[in-house]
Amino acid sequence: MSAESPLRTAPDPARVPAPAGRGPASGREAVLAAATDGGGAGAGTPAEAVRGRAARAGARRLLWALPPVALLAVFFLYPLVLVGRQSLQPDTGGTSLRPYADVFASAGFREALWTTVWLAPAATAGCLVLGFLLALVIAFVPFPGAKAVARFVDVFLSFPSFLVTLALLFVYGQVGMANGLWTDLTGAAEGPFRFLTTPWGVLLAEITYFTPFVMRPLLAAFAQLDTAQLEAASSLGARAPRIVRRIILPEALPALAAGGSLVLVLCLNEFGIVLFTGAKGVTTLPMLIYSKAILESDYPGACVVAVVNVLLSVGLYGLYRVVSRRAGA
Amino acid sequence: MLVHSRKAKWAVWVLFLVLFVPLFALPLLVVLGASLATHWSGVLPSGPTIDHYRAATRGEALQALTTSLLTALAASLLALAVGTWAALAAAALKKSHRRVMDALFVLPVAVPSVVVGLSVLVAFSQPPLLLNGTRWIVILAHTVLVTAFAHQSVSAAIVRLDPAYEQAAASLGAGPARVLWRVRLPLLLPSLTAAAGLCFALSMGELSATMMLYPPDWTPLPVLIHAATDRGALFAGSAVAVVLMAATLLVLFAVSRVRTRASYR
Amino acid sequence: MSIRFDSVTVAYDGNVVLDSLDLTVAPGEVMALLGPSGSGKTTALRAVAGFVRPASGRVLLGERDVTDLPPHRRGIGMVVQQYALFPHMRVEDNVAFGLKARRATRAEIRQRVADALEMTGMAAYARRYPRELSGGQQQRVAIARALAVRPAVLLLDEPLSALDARLRSGMLGELARLHRELPEVSILYVTHDQIEALTLADRIAVMDKARLRACGTPRELYRAPADEFTASFVGNANLLPVTVTAGGAALGSAELQVDTAGAVAGARATLCVRPHLVGLGDGPNRLTGTVSEIQWRGSTHRLYVDVAGHPVMADLRELRNPPAHGDEVSLHFAPEDAVLLAAGVGGDER
Repeated sequence: MSAESPLRTAPDPARVPAPAGRGPASGREAVLAAATDGGGAGAGTPAEAVRGRAARAGARRLLWALPPVALLAVFFLYPLVLVGRQSLQPDTGGTSLRPYADVFASAGFREALWTTVWLAPAATAGCLVLGFLLALVIAFVPFPGAKAVARFVDVFLSFPSFLVTLALLFVYGQVGMANGLWTDLTGAAEGPFRFLTTPWGVLLAEITYFTPFVMRPLLAAFAQLDTAQLEAASSLGARAPRIVRRIILPEALPALAAGGSLVLVLCLNEFGIVLFTGAKGVTTLPMLIYSKAILESDYPGACVVAVVNVLLSVGLYGLYRVVSRRAGA
Repeated sequence: MLVHSRKAKWAVWVLFLVLFVPLFALPLLVVLGASLATHWSGVLPSGPTIDHYRAATRGEALQALTTSLLTALAASLLALAVGTWAALAAAALKKSHRRVMDALFVLPVAVPSVVVGLSVLVAFSQPPLLLNGTRWIVILAHTVLVTAFAHQSVSAAIVRLDPAYEQAAASLGAGPARVLWRVRLPLLLPSLTAAAGLCFALSMGELSATMMLYPPDWTPLPVLIHAATDRGALFAGSAVAVVLMAATLLVLFAVSRVRTRASYR
Repeated sequence: MSIRFDSVTVAYDGNVVLDSLDLTVAPGEVMALLGPSGSGKTTALRAVAGFVRPASGRVLLGERDVTDLPPHRRGIGMVVQQYALFPHMRVEDNVAFGLKARRATRAEIRQRVADALEMTGMAAYARRYPRELSGGQQQRVAIARALAVRPAVLLLDEPLSALDARLRSGMLGELARLHRELPEVSILYVTHDQIEALTLADRIAVMDKARLRACGTPRELYRAPADEFTASFVGNANLLPVTVTAGGAALGSAELQVDTAGAVAGARATLCVRPHLVGLGDGPNRLTGTVSEIQWRGSTHRLYVDVAGHPVMADLRELRNPPAHGDEVSLHFAPEDAVLLAAGVGGDER
């Protein structure tokens, strides 16, 4: 083997054995060689040997996947299962559907369910429209500072949601900017803005907080779009609305679907925004879980609401993943 | 590109500002303004003071800041390790198995954080593992929540990684372990740091699960902010919120510095 | 070290991309795998490297059956089209990578890296990062990296196709020089460019549609192609449908003298004549027709002449008074410059 060493200067080729020079003696190679010899000699066809090897490699890979899956199972899946179990164990003892019956019968639960179910799609729709418009301007009608705005959107994403509610308290709160402006101008004793403690306040906060979640994938998709397409279209006489509808929107659909479904699920699960409005009038499912578990110590009841909330969000998210895969995204 | 006439451009920009500034820039400015004020009954806050910051950087608030930083650090490192391992292991699996694994690891995104908090509380308030009342239950819940994000962003980076590099390494005689340590992980480093930054920021701002299970001696910043606003101390709460934002931004900035140095093209 | 394909078949999802390839590259030989994209040539190379697993057949390096060995145990050197230099390592660390993987001593690594960089003329760039190099320089580093481990077999997968035309011809000369300096290394060179194959290769294997079409020295393939595909893929060719006669072949009414090599009179065949071997004016094997197009290419003129409905190309040394479009001209070629090929059928013969 060393005779075949290709470089001119050969200080000591034997010191660095080319793999071929190692010979079949080294452990794993010998095993492999034996395995394939057996395959060729009569134990089976070569094709079977190939399949056997592939199966062994596959098993080894599955083994490597095991530790993280085990961690996930112990610290995430098992607790979820316990929640499911607890939802069937009323405080009075035994196993029954009693907690479900109790929770479903309560007006508070039905109201929370309804609030959650209408708020989330409404906020998602708002985020999609607003996010699409804003991303469109940043990407296609760029202005000085558009890049900084795009970076600001990223920064916005890294802040917690309750900050928005906190800010809105100062803008539209009982004593805040908007009401202060009104009383200053009109001399009235109180301003007209009191929607903050209603579902509309939550809706505004959710749209504000989650719109960047739509903008980010959209901006990424727009960056991929070949601007020559737009130039070609406008050279063919298409006007802006037509270009948006015919060229940009189709390209943006996967990003809109991805962002929209994420926002929908996050809105269904949103807790901080609702908690910070501090309004007893707005209760969503996550809020109900918190108050049942922590404030009322009604664990079976909290678990029932949790099961409903999980089914709702995971069901929707699963549906989205299936649909998007069908659509080839 | 899309709008050519000057007038139309200006119209679009004005519309943009009208939508963007009140919705996104204003909230952050308002929190900042409030943190430096004692009253807000007009258009602008009044009674300038820095007392809130004095309070927000000592005692209870300082304790909460340390708690948040330590929790976020621990949770994001753990999540990065588990998420990266899972993503690398999943990438080597065949398609059907990979899908199952991806679905499993994305699940914590879809499950409400409050429910994650509740489930961790239920599961670890009883034997065999009793964590309730300790800081570990908070760190554990945060790790579970952010692992999904770490896994997703590392997975996306692995898909983008050109297989030519690992093949070149293998052709040069590098075994799987060397290919992983010397080639794949270094090439993934920019994405790994980005994922770490994301996890850190998420953990810093986590409120939903934390509210379910924090022990009195391990109170992160968001809980403190809620406590302040709940008792009506909005201005003091704002100062703590600004501290939270600043700490998050500082860490993100540091991470992005590391990241620029780690990106090669 | 020799490379041997022993009826190697590769299939993806039931799609055969390499169909029972039998081929041997002798020790120290440069073998070009030449073919259009999708012909299976890169698959063949990747089967040697270990990145694709044959569905059947064996791959041998020297006497060793490597079919079941993972890539990192095969001890080959490889250079791919996009180089795949590790962007996070300096040039010297890229070149040292294979040596470190083989656990060479530090002194040895230093020596070998210096040698490999010296050989490829990149010694001055050892401390640079790949992104700081031009395409041609990256190419040299990729070659140095592959050579540093002293492979007995070097696999080159379209190594020049990412370079522009001028650099390409320069690198072609470099590769030829490297091979003169490393005469023991067997090289498998995948390309779709006939010039590269003709220039570098000791032998060329022509591939098409997952199969080996022909294999021989460049001269053999050029002078006496085995079939129409080879004739048209290796160099330019006039392929004329003729009928075999007792003394030669007939193209329409024109009677041509060629070596029939025992073909049965009356059979249909294809006559292959290289354009640069076709002359203008009277001579043996005269063909008359009208000029349908004339292209001036600097040192040559190419004439397209319509002969009884068949286009015939002639590459002529630059003409002082070239014919015009529509002119009636005569062309001729020497009987020994034409090859009679079996008609139509692709010719699966080897």
